[in-house]
Amino acid sequence: MPKLSQKKCQWNVQPATKEYSAQLPSHPNPRNLQYPPKQTPVEELYRRYKDPHEEMIMAEGMSRLCTDLDVDPQDIVMLVMSWHMKAATMCEFSKQEFFNGLKALKIDSIEKFRSALPSMRSELKDKDKFKEVYNFTFDWAKEKGQKSLQLDTAIGMWQLLFAEMTPKWPYVDQWCEFLEERHKLAIPKDTWNQLLDFVRNVDPSLSNFDEERAWPCLVDDFVDYLKEKGLVQTT
Amino acid sequence: MGAKIIQFDQGWSCLQKGITKLKKILEGAPGGHFSSEEYMALYSTIYNMCSQNSPNYSQQLYEKYGESLTEYIRATVLPSIAENHGEFMLREFVNRWANHKVMVRWLSHFFSYLDRWFVSQKSLPRLKEAGLVVFRECVYEKVKSNVVACVIGFIDKEREGGRIDRGLLKNVVDVFVEVGMGQMGGYEVDFEAEMLADSGEHYSRKAVSWILEDSCPDYMVKAEECLRREKERASHYLHSSSEQKLVEKVQHELLVVHAHQLIDKEHSGFRALIRGDKVEDLSRMFRLYHKIPKGLEPVANVFKQQVTDEGKALVQQAEDAASSQQGSNGAGAEVGLVLIREILELHDKYMAYVTGCFMNHSVFHKALKEAFEVFCNKSVAGISSAELLAGFCDNLLKKGTSEKLSDEIIEETLEKVVVLLAYYSDKDLYAEFCRKKLARRLLFDRSCNEDHEKSFLTKLKQQCGGQFASKMQGMVTDMTLAKDIQTNFEQYLGTNPNVKPGIDLSVTVLKTGCWPNYKSSDLNLPQEMVKCVEVFKGFYDSQTKRRKLAWIYSLGTCNIVGKFEPKPIELVVSTYQAALLLLFNDSDRLSFSEILTQLKLTNEDLVRLLSSLSCAKYKILIKEPNTKTVKPDDNFVFNSMFTDKMRKIRIPLPPMVDEKKKVTEDVDKERKYAIDAALVRIMKSRKVLGHQKLVMECVEMVQSIFKPDIKTIKKRIEDLITRDYLERDHEDSNMFKYVA
Repeated sequence: MPKLSQKKCQWNVQPATKEYSAQLPSHPNPRNLQYPPKQTPVEELYRRYKDPHEEMIMAEGMSRLCTDLDVDPQDIVMLVMSWHMKAATMCEFSKQEFFNGLKALKIDSIEKFRSALPSMRSELKDKDKFKEVYNFTFDWAKEKGQKSLQLDTAIGMWQLLFAEMTPKWPYVDQWCEFLEERHKLAIPKDTWNQLLDFVRNVDPSLSNFDEERAWPCLVDDFVDYLKEKGLVQTT
Repeated sequence: MGAKIIQFDQGWSCLQKGITKLKKILEGAPGGHFSSEEYMALYSTIYNMCSQNSPNYSQQLYEKYGESLTEYIRATVLPSIAENHGEFMLREFVNRWANHKVMVRWLSHFFSYLDRWFVSQKSLPRLKEAGLVVFRECVYEKVKSNVVACVIGFIDKEREGGRIDRGLLKNVVDVFVEVGMGQMGGYEVDFEAEMLADSGEHYSRKAVSWILEDSCPDYMVKAEECLRREKERASHYLHSSSEQKLVEKVQHELLVVHAHQLIDKEHSGFRALIRGDKVEDLSRMFRLYHKIPKGLEPVANVFKQQVTDEGKALVQQAEDAASSQQGSNGAGAEVGLVLIREILELHDKYMAYVTGCFMNHSVFHKALKEAFEVFCNKSVAGISSAELLAGFCDNLLKKGTSEKLSDEIIEETLEKVVVLLAYYSDKDLYAEFCRKKLARRLLFDRSCNEDHEKSFLTKLKQQCGGQFASKMQGMVTDMTLAKDIQTNFEQYLGTNPNVKPGIDLSVTVLKTGCWPNYKSSDLNLPQEMVKCVEVFKGFYDSQTKRRKLAWIYSLGTCNIVGKFEPKPIELVVSTYQAALLLLFNDSDRLSFSEILTQLKLTNEDLVRLLSSLSCAKYKILIKEPNTKTVKPDDNFVFNSMFTDKMRKIRIPLPPMVDEKKKVTEDVDKERKYAIDAALVRIMKSRKVLGHQKLVMECVEMVQSIFKPDIKTIKKRIEDLITRDYLERDHEDSNMFKYVA
């Protein structure tokens, strides 16, 4: 009996605290038996916004984050931020994503966060980064478990992204009208990616559009639409 | 014996005498030949003069040899030719050459010792050769242009119908050849080239006037004759190597230069000849143009145009006929039958020309094929070409067509249809329509002859490959098996009389897979039929293990007797119609909704059924009110007073679904799979491929069955990307890679 209780005592104390400490993320001192342990600034930020039931920052938390950052939730900088976080889905950050993202951005306070926004916004001026963000947007904006992106979400994203792009693509509105009028289906990933190629490489007069190339059918149809409606611009 | 040294002058004077004598002989003086002593004397003199060590006169003698000839030519030969003209000049020319050869021969005999040592020592031409060269340089070169002009003049004279001395011309030509001494350059440059140019001009002039004046057949006859004559001319007095060149020249001037004018002549050209079935003239045209490289192309093009125009006209006729009959049911189908028959006849007609006049030449086969491909694929009255052709076959193979055709004719026609099928681009659509119609023929016993069905499928298989007709063949086999099952069923009933359902029942058991998909709606069967189904099920379960039967009542037929007051009449109706009619055994009058509830059908189906029995030709039921269409608030009464002069009548039920739409949908679906499979197969073997190439190879792979739409291929490629079979190359978005 005494041996057993000894064991029980042994069992309970050290390993128990170790186990408990291990649950605390990136705690500097695992042997520190302060209870509860002191949180890092990032952890504090996370706790402020996280959903009460899930280990995630969800819609409500996101909205509060935006308020604190003094930024509109529709602002494209949120997209850039999500890209840095490698967020899987729009309007939420997993714990991992949030922590890794802030670590990469070297942000540990709301003030630092706020001041990082302008530089994030200007990243879009870089062609390669813009492309990465653009491509990233597809997987981020689509619904979980779906292969394609819902049309209205896609249109919203395109309008958001193309508003930031320079030089401006003159056919943004026509593209969106065309989709609503003629296509009405979800957008596959390949089409999404290829559209940027089209926007960047084919000039507005369509003089260098080669219909023998492997453009997605939707792009071919759009070119036909422009021609049909007499909307093709002459340079 | 000690040889005496011979001094030059001494020796030469002796030789000179010999040479002079020789000249006299050549000039025709009497007493002309050399005795052996004379010969020997001359020979030895030369021998001695050349073999003595010093002074050795080999060199001088060699030169003297040449000089003798040259002198003679200058003095005698050349003037004699130059003095004369025309025929006489030619004769002199020929004779002088002959003489020269003789002179050279004799002289080289005399001087032959030189040939032994001196010539090879000094690498000089041998005596004979040297001698002939003298003629060439001193005579030939000087007179050749006159001679040539003269000869050509004679040739033209003969062409115009004059008589000339062919032998003489031949001799002249021979001189030209011989003077070349093995090389044809002289003949070709000096004579042949001029002759060909002149011939070309001659015929060019002729052609220009003939083409305006003569009809196409007449012109061709003239051309043929000219060619024949030129060939003959060449064989008689030109060098053999000239024949081909001359013929080509003449062909060019007469046939090639004016080819289009000739072939397209308004009232007598190719198209007129076809219209008039002028077989001989057409054959002549083929003969003439066949030998010219690419010569048949213009002819074949006109042929193709002719066939295409005639074919298109037939299609237009059919279209017009159909629209004028607008409103009449099945107008399109009737018109279609006529059209296909006419197209087959057109094919026979033009194929006869191809195998006959045009000697089965591949250029014409190709032209015929391309022409037919243009108009065979046109639709008429909204019916696709594939359906028209399938309808034609159905008509041939089913019972009850108005024309009773012999078995032979049916077989022959089917054979021709299969040949025609090669020109259709939507072969898979055709196959699907055939399958649907075959099913109807087999299931409703409308096929005229099982042998025809089988042989037709065999022919299709031979033409289009094993896969093409495999389902249809399965269907035919199924019918045989079904008959066996039915026989067994009847035996079963014989041995188990207690389970007899009280109605004669025959069931056709089909294997799913090769038959088209049939939907069966849940008809509420009348009691009598329910029993039948149960009995058969019992039998079938006893015969097989783990097979499930799905009953397709929509395909069934029922013979029921209507006990009408005037007289009982046997009605041949569909199972659905029978089920409806049997309801009236229990009530005289039923409303639409009552029937609907009792039978458990859809609204549309019931409207169709009731229309067939109350608004069509035979009014078995009386509809209240007696309007033209069936409405949900109508009532129906059994028409006990119905009668007809026949004892047995068939009441048709128009089909449910727009078959055409379904078939097109099914085929489109199959095509998508076929394209997918082709794309995957190509990418699997190529691993990396550019977009254009991929599309091209895909088209090639499927085109024996159908002509794919490029847009569809593009969409399928996109779909395969989404499904992760393919991906775009990161560097070049126009390249695709296979994802393993």
